Amino acid sequence: MYRYDTLDREILADRSAEFRDQVRRRLAGEITEDQFKPLRLMNGLYLQLHAYMLRVAIPYGTLNSRQLRKLAEIGRTYDKGYGHFTTRTNLQFHWIKLEDTPDILDALATVDMHAIQTSGNCIRNVTADPYAGATADEIDDPRVWSEAIRQWSSLHPEFSFLPRKFKIAITAAPKDRTAARVHDIGLMARRGREGELGFEVIVGGGMGRTPIVGPTVQEFLPAHRLFSYLEAVLRVYNRHGRRDNIYKARIKILVQALGVDEFARQVDEEWASIGRDGDLPDAEIARIRAAFAPKTFETLPRESLGFNEAKAQDQAFARFVRNNLKPHKRQGYTIVDISLKGIGETPGDASSEQMEVVADLAERFGQDDIRVTHEQNLVLPHVRLDDAHEVFLGLAKVGLATPNINLVSDIIACPGLDYCALANARAIIVAQDIARRFENQDRAEDIGELKIKISGCINACGHHHVGHIGILGVDKKGEEFYQLTLGGSGAEDAAIGKILGPALPIDKVTDAIDRLVNVYLQERQVNERFLDTLRRTGDAPFKEAVYGDAH
Amino acid sequence: MAMLIKAEGGGFHAEMDDFQSVVDDQPIPDGKLILSLKRFETDGEVLLAQGRAVGVRIEPDEAVEDLTPFLPRLAVVALSLPKFRDGRAFSSAHILRTRLGYTGQVRAVGEVLREQAGMMARCGFDAFEPSDGSSPEAWAKVVNRHRHVYQSAADHHVPAFARRLGG
Amino acid sequence: MKALTANHLLDGRVVFWSQGQWVDRLADADLFDDSDPAGPEAEAEARAQTKLVVDAYLIDLIQAEEFWAPVSYRERIRALGPTNHLGHGKQADGGPSIAALQQAHGAARSSGRVNLIKRK
Repeated sequence: MYRYDTLDREILADRSAEFRDQVRRRLAGEITEDQFKPLRLMNGLYLQLHAYMLRVAIPYGTLNSRQLRKLAEIGRTYDKGYGHFTTRTNLQFHWIKLEDTPDILDALATVDMHAIQTSGNCIRNVTADPYAGATADEIDDPRVWSEAIRQWSSLHPEFSFLPRKFKIAITAAPKDRTAARVHDIGLMARRGREGELGFEVIVGGGMGRTPIVGPTVQEFLPAHRLFSYLEAVLRVYNRHGRRDNIYKARIKILVQALGVDEFARQVDEEWASIGRDGDLPDAEIARIRAAFAPKTFETLPRESLGFNEAKAQDQAFARFVRNNLKPHKRQGYTIVDISLKGIGETPGDASSEQMEVVADLAERFGQDDIRVTHEQNLVLPHVRLDDAHEVFLGLAKVGLATPNINLVSDIIACPGLDYCALANARAIIVAQDIARRFENQDRAEDIGELKIKISGCINACGHHHVGHIGILGVDKKGEEFYQLTLGGSGAEDAAIGKILGPALPIDKVTDAIDRLVNVYLQERQVNERFLDTLRRTGDAPFKEAVYGDAH
Repeated sequence: MAMLIKAEGGGFHAEMDDFQSVVDDQPIPDGKLILSLKRFETDGEVLLAQGRAVGVRIEPDEAVEDLTPFLPRLAVVALSLPKFRDGRAFSSAHILRTRLGYTGQVRAVGEVLREQAGMMARCGFDAFEPSDGSSPEAWAKVVNRHRHVYQSAADHHVPAFARRLGG
Repeated sequence: MKALTANHLLDGRVVFWSQGQWVDRLADADLFDDSDPAGPEAEAEARAQTKLVVDAYLIDLIQAEEFWAPVSYRERIRALGPTNHLGHGKQADGGPSIAALQQAHGAARSSGRVNLIKRK
C-alpha cells in the first residue's frame, strides 16, 4: 500500500498543529462556537447527542495492521474501547472529549492517519473497491487513482468551501462494490479500443432527500486527463451549485437543473480552458502505482488439502467459506470478508480487542492488508486457502466469524437517534431486531442475497435508498416510524427503491420484513435473488403482504 | 477608512485603506473608488478615462470574466464573501490570476476570516479586509503554517508531486 | 414542566441546569413551570456561558412515576445514553430515576425544542 513520504508526513503534522491551535483558541474563548464549529467539522469533529464524535479518515478503506492497532489503542485510551466503521469506510469514535482531540490527531499522525475532510463542504474520503488488488475482474488498481485523488483533494485551496459535501467513488471492476452511481462523482475504469485506460464518469448521483442514480457525462475520459476533468467539474459546481438551500446544494441538483447535456457542455468548456496544466504528471501516477505494486504471491496449487479437510470436518467453517470467502485472482488464495454484523450487535462496531485480532491476523496471514467496505464490514484481501481455517478460528474467538455476508442480517445501519444529532429515529435497534429474527443461518442462506439498509433520517447515511429493502426512520407525531422502500440497489444495477406504503411503527417493522421475505420465498424462480423476483413481479404482492390487513 | 492587510514581498502588513467603497445610489466621491459591477458598467468607462484609480466589487453570483476588457486598467478587484463559507470567490480569484492574467490587487471583502487566509492566498488574493480583527502577524502565521501543498494553484508554491520529481 | 440542558464544552457530555450550576443527572435538574419566566431567564444566562457549555436550551418534560421524563425520544436518549449500549452513558449508573426514564410512556413529541437542526 501507499507509504507516506516526508512531504505527506509534514503536511499532516502542520494540519495537526493548526487544529491544536484552533482548539486552544476555542477553549480560551478567543473564538466563538459559531466560528469554531466549521473548523472542527473540517477535522471530522462533531458534537453529537452524548459527546463529541471524531470521524477518522480511512482513505479508500485501506489499512495496515499498525494503523488498525493504533485505532484500537485510541478507542481504548480515549473512547469506551471500541470504534464504529461507517458507510463512508471511515471510523467514528463516539465518546470523545474536545480537549483530547489534538492528542488523538497526533497519535493518528504517528501511523500516517488523520481526520482531514471527514466533514465539511469539501471533497470527502474517496470510496474504492474493497477488493482492489485481489479480485480477478478489475482492469486496473483503483487505489492508485484513489491515492492521487486523496492528495489532490486534501486542503484544496479552491474547493474547500463548496456548496455542499462532495463524494467520489472509484471502481475498476464490472461488479460495483462502491455504489459509484450514487456518488457526486463515480469513476468506473474502462479500457479504450487500443487498450488505453480511461474512466466512465458519472456525475450527480446521490441519496439524501433527492435520490438520483447519476447520469454518465463522459463515456470515456482518458485516465491521464482525470485531474483536469475533476477540476472542471468541481469549478462548475463551486461557481454554479445552489447555496440558498442546503437540501438543493449537492451537485446532483445542478446537473438535473441544467440537464445532463448542458452540464456536460459547461464542464467541457471549463475543461478546455484548464487544459493539460490541470493534470498530474505521469511520473507521479507511476510513483503512486509503484506503491501498489502487486503483492508477492506464492505459486500455490488450486486446491488446498488442509482447507478442504477443514471444510469437511468443521461445518461452521464450511458455512463461513460459503458466505464470507470470495475468489482471489491468484489460485490458492482467497478474499476473506469479516462481518461486523454479529447477530444482535451494533452494525459496524468493533471493539479494540476485535481490531487487534484482525490486525494480528492480517499481519500473520493477510500480507498486512485490511480493507473497510461501505457495507460496514472488514476484508482481508489476500489470505492463502491453507491459512483460511486458522483465520476463521482466530476471528471466531472474538465473535467476528459471523457467516452472513450479503445475507439478510448483513444490515447497514447509521448510528441513528442513539447517537446522531440529526437523526429522527433509531436505526441500530431496528437492525438488531431484524438480525435476531433471521438468526437461523440455514434460513438466511436459503433466502440468499438480501441487502437491508437503514437510515435514521433523510440524509441517508444508512443508504436506505439503495437497499433491496430500505428502511427510513421518520418522526410521525413524536414517535419513531419507519418507511419501507423496495427495489433499490447500490451495485452495478443501481436503482433507487420505491416507497412501499405508509410508515410503520417500530414494533411492526421486523414482522413486515418477515412478510416481504416470505413473499419472495413463495414467488421466486430458480436462481432469483430477492431483488430479481421483486423486479419480475413488481411490488404488488409485497405490498399486499405488508398492508393487506389494513383493507 | 478600514484597515487592510496586504501581502507584499512574502510578508503581510496592515495599512489604512485609501479606497472608498461606493454605494450604488451615492454620488461619485473624490479619491480612489471601489464600485459594484452594476455601477461600474454605467460609470466605469468615464472614471477610467479620467485616470481615476478604480476597483470593482464582484458578488459571488457575478462572473469575473465580465471584467476581462477592463482588467489592465483596474487597480482592485474586490471579491465579496457575504458568508465565509461561500467559496465562489475562491474560484473567481483563481480565474482572475491564472486565466485572465490579472496582476492588480485581488481583495477579499465581507466575512473574511483568518482561518481561510492560507487558501485565499493560494487562490491569488493579496489583500484582505479581515472581519475578525486579525492582525497581519496572525494572518502571516496562518498563511505560512503549511510547509507543503498538494496542488498547483495561483501562488508560487511548488506542489508535492513536482517537488518529488525534483521540481 | 421544563428543564434546561446543554452539552459541556470540554467533553460534550449532556448536562442539566441546577441552581446556576451544571449537573449530570436530569433527576437533579431544576424544574420550571411552562409559564415560569425563570426558565427563559436561566436559558439566557446559560447561553452566555459560551466557554462552559454549547447550545443550551429548554426541554419539555412529562410526569414519569415520581420523576420527570423528557417528552421527546431524542431528549430521553440524551438523558440516558444510547439504547444499543446500555452500559454507556448516564444509564450505566442505574437507579430509580434512570429506570423511570427508561420506562416512561406517554406521547413523545419528536422534539422538545425548535430549530433542532440549525443551519446558517
